[in-house]
Amino acid sequence: MHSEAIAVHEHHHETDSVDVFGFWLYIMTDCILFGCLFATFLVLNFPGSPGPELKTYLKLSDVLLETFFLLASNFTFCLAILNLYQTKLFRVQLWLAISFLLGGSFIFMEVTEFAHLANEGFRWDVSGKASSFFTLVGTHGLHVSCGLVWILLMIMQLPLLKDVYVARRRMTYLGLFWNFLDIVWIFVFTIVYLMGAM
Amino acid sequence: MHHHQASHPDYGTGKKKLGIYIFGLICCSILTLIAFGIVMVNQFSRWEVFTVIYSAACIQFLVQVICFLRLNTQTEQGKINVMSILFTGVILLSIIVGSLWIMSNVNYNLM
Repeated sequence: MHSEAIAVHEHHHETDSVDVFGFWLYIMTDCILFGCLFATFLVLNFPGSPGPELKTYLKLSDVLLETFFLLASNFTFCLAILNLYQTKLFRVQLWLAISFLLGGSFIFMEVTEFAHLANEGFRWDVSGKASSFFTLVGTHGLHVSCGLVWILLMIMQLPLLKDVYVARRRMTYLGLFWNFLDIVWIFVFTIVYLMGAM
Repeated sequence: MHHHQASHPDYGTGKKKLGIYIFGLICCSILTLIAFGIVMVNQFSRWEVFTVIYSAACIQFLVQVICFLRLNTQTEQGKINVMSILFTGVILLSIIVGSLWIMSNVNYNLM
C-alpha cells in the first residue's frame, strides 16, 4: 500500500511539473509581449519626438510609493507560500489578503495617476508618446488587476481544496505570475518614469 | 528519504526560506531608493544617472529572479526553466535592440 501511495505521488509530481513548466512558458511569451511594448515605447520616445513631455506632469514620489506597494505585495505573497508549505491555512489566507490590499493600493494609485494625467492634458490620443505610455503602463496594470482577481479566488478556494498538492500547484502558478509582474515593473519604472523624468 | 522528496515537489522553484525573502526585500528596497534618489536629487550628469539607474535595474532583476522566483539549476526542472528564460532573453534582445537600431537608421536617413 505504501509503495502504491508513493507511486501515485510520483505520478502527481511528474504531471504537475509539466503543468508548471507550461505556465512558465506562458509567462515567457508574456515577457515577449512586454518586450514589444517596451520597444514601441522607446522608438516613439526618441529624443526630439513631437508631443507634450511626460516630465511636466509627473510626480516621482507617487511612483516611488507605487513601487513599494508592489514590492511589499510580492514579499507578503512569498510569506503566504512559506506558510502554505507549513500547512497553516489561516495564515496563508491572511497574507494573501494583505497582498491583495497592497496590490489594490498600487492599482488605485495608478488609476488616480492616469486620471490626473488625462485631466492635465496628457491624454492617450494627443501623441504617439502618450499612446505608447498608456499602452505599456496600462497593459501592466491590467495584468496586475487580473492577478488581484486571481488572489481573491485563491483565498476563497483554498479551504475547499482537500488535496494539498493541488493547492500547492495553484499557489505556484499564482506566485510565478505575481513575481513576474513585479519584475516587469522594475523596467517600467526605470525606462518609463525615471528616464522620462530626466 | 525518497518518500520525503516525493512529498515536497517544488516545481523547480527551489526551497522556501524566510531568510532569502527578507534578504531579497531589503536589497530591492535599497536598489529602488538609489535609483529614485539619484534622479530626484538632480545633481548628476545625464550619463551618470543613466548608468546608475540601469545598473540598479539589472541588479534588482537578478535579485528578484534569484530570491523571489527562486530560479536555480539544482534540479532538472530548474535547468529547463533557466534555459527557457535565456532563450526569451535572446528574443527580447533582438526585438528591442533591433527596433531601436532600425528606427535610428530610418531617422538618420530622413534627416
